[in-house]
Amino acid sequence: MKKPIIAIAGLTACSGCQLTLLNCEEELPEIAQRFIIDYFPLGLTERLITGPIDVAIVEGAVSTPSDLEILMKLRNSCRCLVALGTCALWGGIAAMKNQESRKDLAGTVYGSAADELKTFNPQPLHRFVKIDFAITGCPPEKGELLATLAALLRGTFPVFPRYPVCSECRSRENLCLLIERNEMCLGPLIQAGCNARCPAVGIRCEGCRGPVTEANVAAEMELFLKKGFPRDEIVSRMQRFYPEWNYEQRS
Amino acid sequence: MTRNLLKHDSIADFLEILATFGELHGPVLTDVGVSAFRPLGPGIDLLLDYSRTLVPPKKYLLPPRDTVLFFATDEGYRQPAAAVPETILVGLHPCDLQGIAYLDKVFMRDRIDPLYRARRTALTLIGLSCEPDEYCFCGDLSATETHGCDLFMRRSPCEFHLRSNTPKGKAILDRLTPILAEGEPLPADSRTCDMAAAIQQASVRGETFEKSALWDEFAGRCLSCGACSLCCPTCYCFDIREYGALDGETTMRLREWDNCLFKDHGEVAGGFNFRKSRQERFHYRYQHKYLGFGPTRGIVSCVGCGRCRVVCPVGIDLLELFKESEDEKRP
Repeated sequence: MKKPIIAIAGLTACSGCQLTLLNCEEELPEIAQRFIIDYFPLGLTERLITGPIDVAIVEGAVSTPSDLEILMKLRNSCRCLVALGTCALWGGIAAMKNQESRKDLAGTVYGSAADELKTFNPQPLHRFVKIDFAITGCPPEKGELLATLAALLRGTFPVFPRYPVCSECRSRENLCLLIERNEMCLGPLIQAGCNARCPAVGIRCEGCRGPVTEANVAAEMELFLKKGFPRDEIVSRMQRFYPEWNYEQRS
Repeated sequence: MTRNLLKHDSIADFLEILATFGELHGPVLTDVGVSAFRPLGPGIDLLLDYSRTLVPPKKYLLPPRDTVLFFATDEGYRQPAAAVPETILVGLHPCDLQGIAYLDKVFMRDRIDPLYRARRTALTLIGLSCEPDEYCFCGDLSATETHGCDLFMRRSPCEFHLRSNTPKGKAILDRLTPILAEGEPLPADSRTCDMAAAIQQASVRGETFEKSALWDEFAGRCLSCGACSLCCPTCYCFDIREYGALDGETTMRLREWDNCLFKDHGEVAGGFNFRKSRQERFHYRYQHKYLGFGPTRGIVSCVGCGRCRVVCPVGIDLLELFKESEDEKRP
């Protein structure tokens, strides 16, 4: 079997998604043996994108000219581009304040030095290039990352669930925080695959994995409003990992 | 007179004897306050007056995620070893017994599922009578105590009346004799429920409520969270997925719970979908549940446990369809 050549890159993000890979300690020797890792600034000294790449795995949102340059370079030299994590797929934490002025935001953090910054609203990868596959999550689940690598060895991508967190949460026989505790749990809107990691320990779903297919946003909004949560509080919660919800969407 | 009375204060002895027949499981209240079937043991209280568990006992026969096949390049396909421990499930309400009886028809009648059969054979079912709450509507749908259970416990103020239905149940009853008192066999229990009767009638006439405005209303509210189906004792739809290992040589084929309210349920290669809209998925759910498909045509698979009504975050209740139709009939 020909070893797939892979590149792993990070744009505007916390590197947590790439760390998920490095945290697969048991599997790393197998990965190193089955793949040629051509470009991986976080884990390799060599930092050049050299030749044709089979699969580029990219973490983070695009928010600077240099992000865009790396992304374009990778897209031009790879067969498949995989968005790794919520920022790459949905914008994520970095895009949380995208509806406010970038200039003012930069000024608040960097003061007068902000004028020198070359930055624009953080955007997911698909705004600039075609992506072939995505692994969502903040950070992504180890299992989904490994399943993707395993599928790549067979020249394909895995099939991930396209149903909401609630489904896995109920299967685990958790207490429903939305119904039983009247908490602002985002489970019904959010992509499963985490095995309801947070509700299983009594923490409401914060939505870190982004929207599920056909999310009924309008119905969830009505439900929250009926439970007495103020609209701005709901919107602020929902925008934490994805700023572009369509609050009228039903399917 | 037979020895068939179990005093309430003999429950601990009763469970101790049951545990000699296999791994003992029953309804308990979990740490987070959910009623669930769990292994019983010292310090774990069996719930004797619960309304319903969140997830029905189908999880013992069809786990949410189940490996059905292994593949390795050097040895080909291999079925998982069906080493299932003898399990005693105590405290099953008649609706859940009926749920299992329905699943038996699906998985062990015309095409036998080997994994299901192995688990089912290793399962001993001990039923327990119940009192309906505002969500139940089982009535005659499941009042027949037997429904394939091995032993049934009918509760009265001071004792349980035990009755065995199978040789397995008889063997257990025999071993229980030392802790039982003598009593008269109770006459068969019966319960009537207007809703259960309305459902049966609608099913017999092949009712589909095509013109009801409720379908659009349901579809508009439904979050597609899947709770109604995965908490249903008779929903058995599954999806098959394959996951290759990192070694590039071995693979597992998994059977996972699927759900008719999910987009993927009716989706096939090329992205085509037999049921594109939520409305269509609700119609499908109704038809499968109340009219039946294929070999189960004509069998109502709703057992009236009320779980779907309890777990829906937006309060969708298919019974409204039947109620609406009853209201129309009235002058």
